[in-house]
Amino acid sequence: MNGETPHSLSVNDEKCLGCVYCLTACPTKAIRIKGGKARILDNLCIDCGECMRFCPRDAIESRTTSFSDLGAFKYKVAIPATVLYGQFDNSVQPGEILFALRRIGFDYVYEISTICELNNAAIEKYLNSHPDPRPLISSTCPVVVRLVQRRFPALCGLIAPIEPPREIAAKILRANLPRVLKIPSSDIGILHITPCSAKMVSINRPATMEKSYLDGAISIRDIYKPILQAIRQNQEDTIMCHLFPEILLSGIGMGTALSGGETRGLKNHRTVAVSGVRDTIRVLNQVEIGLLKDVDLLECTVCPDGCVGGPLAVENRFLAKSRIQHLVDKLGDRTVVDGSDISLLYHRDFLSFHHPVQPMRPPALDSDPGQAIRKAKRRSRLVQKLPGKDCGACGAPDCRTLADDVVRGLAELTDCPFVKEEKK
Amino acid sequence: MTEALVFRQEFAVKGGDFTHAGEVACEIKNLLKELGLSPFVVRRASISAYEAEMNAIMYAWRGRLVLSVTPRRIRIIVEDSGPGIEDIDLAMREGWSTATPEMREMGFGAGMGLSNIKKNTDQFRIKSKVGRGTRLEMMILTNGREP
Repeated sequence: MNGETPHSLSVNDEKCLGCVYCLTACPTKAIRIKGGKARILDNLCIDCGECMRFCPRDAIESRTTSFSDLGAFKYKVAIPATVLYGQFDNSVQPGEILFALRRIGFDYVYEISTICELNNAAIEKYLNSHPDPRPLISSTCPVVVRLVQRRFPALCGLIAPIEPPREIAAKILRANLPRVLKIPSSDIGILHITPCSAKMVSINRPATMEKSYLDGAISIRDIYKPILQAIRQNQEDTIMCHLFPEILLSGIGMGTALSGGETRGLKNHRTVAVSGVRDTIRVLNQVEIGLLKDVDLLECTVCPDGCVGGPLAVENRFLAKSRIQHLVDKLGDRTVVDGSDISLLYHRDFLSFHHPVQPMRPPALDSDPGQAIRKAKRRSRLVQKLPGKDCGACGAPDCRTLADDVVRGLAELTDCPFVKEEKK
Repeated sequence: MTEALVFRQEFAVKGGDFTHAGEVACEIKNLLKELGLSPFVVRRASISAYEAEMNAIMYAWRGRLVLSVTPRRIRIIVEDSGPGIEDIDLAMREGWSTATPEMREMGFGAGMGLSNIKKNTDQFRIKSKVGRGTRLEMMILTNGREP
């Protein structure tokens, strides 16, 4: 799992045709076509999964924990994202989905909506006791954290230092299961079930702690069919789940699967919710030039409509959104997490980052300032020579990026077919 | 400093064009990052550029912004053709603004612009001729302080 690339996304060369869909879709211009195949540049990729979404041949693959890897653990725990509930018809209740996960091999299934509510309450506490700086940025979306580190390093200090629900949930389990079950912590595998292509990266290379409390992330795509089969084959479970509802669900927490879900729980603060990677970049640009100072919390999720639009989900996001909204409405705004529990955990720093998000310098044109200026000047001249068609035929997403690659020594000006023609 | 070591780029700013407000400042911000400058210096420069850009959009008819960078300093000059500023000392004061109610409704004109520039730059000069226009000259040292 600690392979050579720090990213979860990779190109399947057998499927890749070298077309320009991913090239132009990438919001950080991290893809080039080299030798007829797409190549992802490690230092620019933020694992948002846009390339996956746009590839017409499914040639971009996301590395997640496979179902067969689970055998490594004696005791297997699943923490499914609430997005999972939206993947099935509303006649299938959350309890049945969790029960089906047990049927397919998990020893324990931990429901996360209450932890989402806990996280929300902790953020509110943090906002109340820290009047500035503003706007604080929610840490839930791992791509946003990576984006801020790499593209907006000056904003690292604005990330609200409360761990996201998945890590809090795993931390709670790690703290309690070995004691309760009387087995060593290393025998327990805690797996997040997710629609997100970046969770694996946040687990393998966490930005705010030395080691993640999670052992892996399973894609909803991979686990959907076994769950569906388990539900179909065990109809009697349905009645049991209806008669013995053993789980506690939080409406506030459930809503965080949708964009605006985190801000909805913060009624006494000024909040802004943004979804989609391009709009997220646009708004972070505004924060960086000094705007949005009157906003307390900025919730950014790079998937459209929030986590429900994650690239590893199965159901179309509009339907899934409607189903989750239905659950949220049914559960209502009632809080289910005990206020004194929240205070206790909050004041013990159980919910906070181990260390702040570290800024990372975006790759400069050159480490020497004088040399960087020379290269920038050369790049401006090269841009003038290029046709400005942004066609992608050279393998870079647009003419300016080709010019940038040329001055960085990564491409040749003659990679542009139009420049070649002029020379002939 | 030799002439070869100055990166210079010019941007046009159109008065009243609120839909593209902030784009010039963002472009400058990205350029400065690519030059490898400290994120905090970049942030101060882009906040200053944004305030100057907004002033030109709000009050002037047209303007231009010239960015020039050497290894030691960032210089941003914003010149506009516009109504000019009658009393510069008053305009520099925090909270003073001549913004119209419409501008305020859009969230602009809190009267923080020029004082914000002063706060974020290492050198700030302003010249204005009523009825002609305004010229702001801002300088930020590349090894400058963090905010």
